[in-house]
Amino acid sequence: MISAAIDTTALWETVVAAFVAGVGTTIVFSLAILGASRFTEASRAGNRAHAGQFGTLAVLGLLATAAAVVFGVIVMTSK
Amino acid sequence: MSESDLILGIVVATALAFDVTNGFHDTANVVATSISTRAMSPRIAVGYAAILNFAGAFISLEVAATVAKDVVDAGAITTSVIFAGLIGAIAWNLVTWYYGLPSSSSHALIGGVVGATIAAVGTSAVFGEGILSKVLIPAVIAPVLAFVVGAIGIVAAYRIVGRQRPGTVTRGFRLGQVVSGGLLALAHGTNDAQKTMGVITLALVANGNLPSTGFEVPTWVIVSSATAIALGTYSGGWRIIKTMGTRIIKMDAAQGFSAQGAGAAVILASSHFGFPLSTTQVIAGGVMGAGAGKRVSAVRWGVAGNIVTAWLLTLPAAAGIGALTYGFVELFPDAVGPVIVSAIGLGLVAYAFVRRLRRPEALPA
Repeated sequence: MISAAIDTTALWETVVAAFVAGVGTTIVFSLAILGASRFTEASRAGNRAHAGQFGTLAVLGLLATAAAVVFGVIVMTSK
Repeated sequence: MSESDLILGIVVATALAFDVTNGFHDTANVVATSISTRAMSPRIAVGYAAILNFAGAFISLEVAATVAKDVVDAGAITTSVIFAGLIGAIAWNLVTWYYGLPSSSSHALIGGVVGATIAAVGTSAVFGEGILSKVLIPAVIAPVLAFVVGAIGIVAAYRIVGRQRPGTVTRGFRLGQVVSGGLLALAHGTNDAQKTMGVITLALVANGNLPSTGFEVPTWVIVSSATAIALGTYSGGWRIIKTMGTRIIKMDAAQGFSAQGAGAAVILASSHFGFPLSTTQVIAGGVMGAGAGKRVSAVRWGVAGNIVTAWLLTLPAAAGIGALTYGFVELFPDAVGPVIVSAIGLGLVAYAFVRRLRRPEALPA
């Protein structure tokens, strides 16, 4: 009776979506900070190759974070 | 104006008053993390949260539908029942606000309405399955989920940025908190303003202004609820900011980002499926997770225990006050009961505010 009343699919989807979004956003934003930090160091050391790589990592991390935020809001408004 | 319309007017005003108390009671939890890590000054954080609360109220109506349809039988209750339930919720909100306990406004609201309904009609008008599946089980899962997400998030963040310069990392996460704090405020507006929308819609059904099946939330209800929660947010809740921001754990910016990200993700995902969560419980879970992920002993478990105790008391306490209020209201004919209770309530609120203003707890602007 009780298990029949519980919408386990919705609960499970909530758990998975919250986990992926919460942990994923923290990871990609941390990568953006790592990229920015190492970009600064590499630039100061004159290492252009490393600076380029870490600069790209920073930009990609920021873009992924922004995409996660926009996607979250779109999912909310789509129902 | 008929007697029933007068009671409906009092119920709508009371519901919006609840929304204001919800704003200053709950949204403090939303901004506390940004303030404690100095990502934002208190005044800017509160103003920012108020704007995003207002915007968030327009995002979804799933939670409003749950409150209006899945908790009690809208066709079996009266506006007096809803009024008594709201008084139960507001009274409990104010008691916990006065003592600085971040309890759940959502559970206070649902507890108050359920208590008043049981007193008026009996348990037959209460949807036990709806409350179990849409309120109680998510209430247990959500804070635990936020705890886990916050803990794993901060462990991952420290592994990635652990060897970088602390100044750069702190500045980066503080900047990130502007986004994560905003998302959390948006999520709060989405989930919490909808509870008031649901209750006002329930009152409109009970009064015959909307059909008991297939109804929709009117636009004026959405706009007024959004405005009320934003005003409540802007007025602030400094006592609870202090409890949430410094007494559970001392946070760094990375922990603040992880806690807010966890809270926003859980609330937005739950709102999508129509679960009326306690944002207080979720953000506290995220904060504790971000603290425990760094060091388990960093969490002040005694304070966390007080918060858990307040949560456990919320449903029965609000239900009890709601039931007693309904009994009192029914002693008088027509709208006399709600008018007397409203007058007493306003007097008590004014008294509580005056007492609190005599002992201000200033935070730097």
